[in-house]
Amino acid sequence: MGETNKQVPVTVLTGFLGAGKTTLLNRILTEQHGKKYAVIVNEFGEQGIDNDLVVDADEEVFEMNNGCICCTVRGDLIRILSGLMKRADKLDAIIVETTGLADPAPVAQTFFVDQDVADRTKLDAIVTVADAVHLSTQLSDHHEAEEQVAFADVVLLNKIDLVDESRLDAVKDRIKKINPFAKIIHTTKCGVSLSEILNLDAFNLKRILDTEPDFLTSDHDHEHDDDVTSLSFVSDTPLDMEKFQDWFSKLLQTKGQDILRTKGILDFKGENDRYVFQGVHMLMDASPMGKWPEGKERNSRLVFIGRNLESMNLKEGFENCKSA
Amino acid sequence: MKADSNKFPELNKTKFENRGKEFKLGIPVTNAITIGNSVAVGFGDGTVRIFRSGQISEVIKAHSGVVLSISKDGEDILTGGDDGRFLKISLDGEINEIANFGSRWVDHVTAYNGSLVCTSGNIVYLWMPNKKEPKLLEHESTIGGVAFDSKGRRLAVSRYGGVTLWKKDYSNKWSSSNLIWKGSHNKVIFSTDDRFLVTSMQENQLHFWRLKDKTDSFMSGYGAKVKSFAFVYDSKFLVTSGSNEAICWPFDGNGPEGRKPICLPYVGNKLVTFVEPFPNENAIFTGLSDGSVFLSEIEKSINTIIIRSFTQSEVTAIAVTEDCSSILIGDIGGNILWTSIWDEEEK
Repeated sequence: MGETNKQVPVTVLTGFLGAGKTTLLNRILTEQHGKKYAVIVNEFGEQGIDNDLVVDADEEVFEMNNGCICCTVRGDLIRILSGLMKRADKLDAIIVETTGLADPAPVAQTFFVDQDVADRTKLDAIVTVADAVHLSTQLSDHHEAEEQVAFADVVLLNKIDLVDESRLDAVKDRIKKINPFAKIIHTTKCGVSLSEILNLDAFNLKRILDTEPDFLTSDHDHEHDDDVTSLSFVSDTPLDMEKFQDWFSKLLQTKGQDILRTKGILDFKGENDRYVFQGVHMLMDASPMGKWPEGKERNSRLVFIGRNLESMNLKEGFENCKSA
Repeated sequence: MKADSNKFPELNKTKFENRGKEFKLGIPVTNAITIGNSVAVGFGDGTVRIFRSGQISEVIKAHSGVVLSISKDGEDILTGGDDGRFLKISLDGEINEIANFGSRWVDHVTAYNGSLVCTSGNIVYLWMPNKKEPKLLEHESTIGGVAFDSKGRRLAVSRYGGVTLWKKDYSNKWSSSNLIWKGSHNKVIFSTDDRFLVTSMQENQLHFWRLKDKTDSFMSGYGAKVKSFAFVYDSKFLVTSGSNEAICWPFDGNGPEGRKPICLPYVGNKLVTFVEPFPNENAIFTGLSDGSVFLSEIEKSINTIIIRSFTQSEVTAIAVTEDCSSILIGDIGGNILWTSIWDEEEK
């Protein structure tokens, strides 16, 4: 199908009401001259958006009939993205703005589950705009705020001119605790170079290797059970592939609702290739990604972001996967 | 001679291509509708073109985005676009805007004897003949498809969780009942004898209801979403896309439950993207993802002939004129073939 097969990157903008999503959106649209963007907005948009191609969406979350209990998708996105792909003029990018209270999982899962969407578009990154003044309270009060930080590839910490340094550090720590691999960018009025939020290709397995997220093992304080936290593990002993697959697939099947995101680079015994994977709830994208680089130490690194991680015996499960 | 592996082999054109006209417009074809012996085609740049006697009309600048849906009301074309407009267009190209929903898309349009229907979001807008204001039929979720039965007394509206079946009584009042099945339902059609209702789903399967007793079941086994499906003239078969074969489910008697479909294979093993029944025959035109189109008799698949060779662009529209003399084929790459079905001597 030639050129029609080129995947259009889709950037998802999340964040609570008032954090500055629309400011960022308008900044993107005014600064990117000569590019053709489609913007998918929700009906509760804060202010006007200055673009030729603005599509109203309803944020309809559908359950899939595929036996995967937490597999929900955004039905309106499937419809709108399929419609946009029929256009004669090719789009440079699509930006999806979600409502302040939206869970980003169904948006991300749409790109895993719907074949037409996956063929024609690709999820570029989830960018979460957070208000430095209010984020701490929002994280305590709303599950959705935690999820938006948990799913973020980039957190744009906005309005930093309104907080002092110690408060800023506290907010950053809170974000890091939830999501150690999100890149945090400080802004006032969403002033950010667009290259830091667009065309990141954050869901490409190759990028996981390039960005080398913070996989340091984290000792962590006991949190409230339903707080979103992260846990990471490192092993210098190669893993047994069969044991790992067995443990990991069972884990996702039974705990997939609480596990929001996972990423990992794995060293399997007897395998020359690095295995890279990333997942959203129960859905997983995994692939061997070539040989380990010369002179670089081989080890397995794994990060979980989710709720109730303490109860899943992750450390024990991971240890049991080590090859004898 | 030296083989050059980077080049496609020069295929001989089919006799249909040789005697027909080819148009390389480079604009994605989104849909087409037969009106008498004309075919109206909608495109991905919002334009509509009318093909008649092998001639192409002036460009009709209907919508500013994509022609998302097309239907007809008598001799007029109906279109819905991603510019939020619902239009009635005459075969002379005169445009009449029936409604404008702004940034809300008009996803589906249909009509029956002067009653016009379009959907935008979760609402069906229904204009009764000669009425200025539409009746609004609201649904819980965005509408996936809409269809009248053959008498125009029932309107099926597919959506998340099933189908809402609207029924008109003799005082023109509409009341609704629900056909429930978990999941998201897209396109919906009645069988030509009005006995069955079929929907395609977000999952790679179809669902059907037998309307006399509301029993239902599904048809699965597809490798892709089923985007194109239709009943042959007497509802003996439902022909479907979504596989590397055209899958034809038997709908005579009590329907397909417990029965096997007839599967028609094609050379190249490509995905079937469009199916169009041959009028008044148990035969179908099948369009594939590589642009090729075949004509097959369902129960004698040995009688398969190639209509168009490949273009490398998936077939998105096939329309046959009412007198069965000509066929129009369109694809996502904007290649159109308009050709006569019969040889001069076969006529």
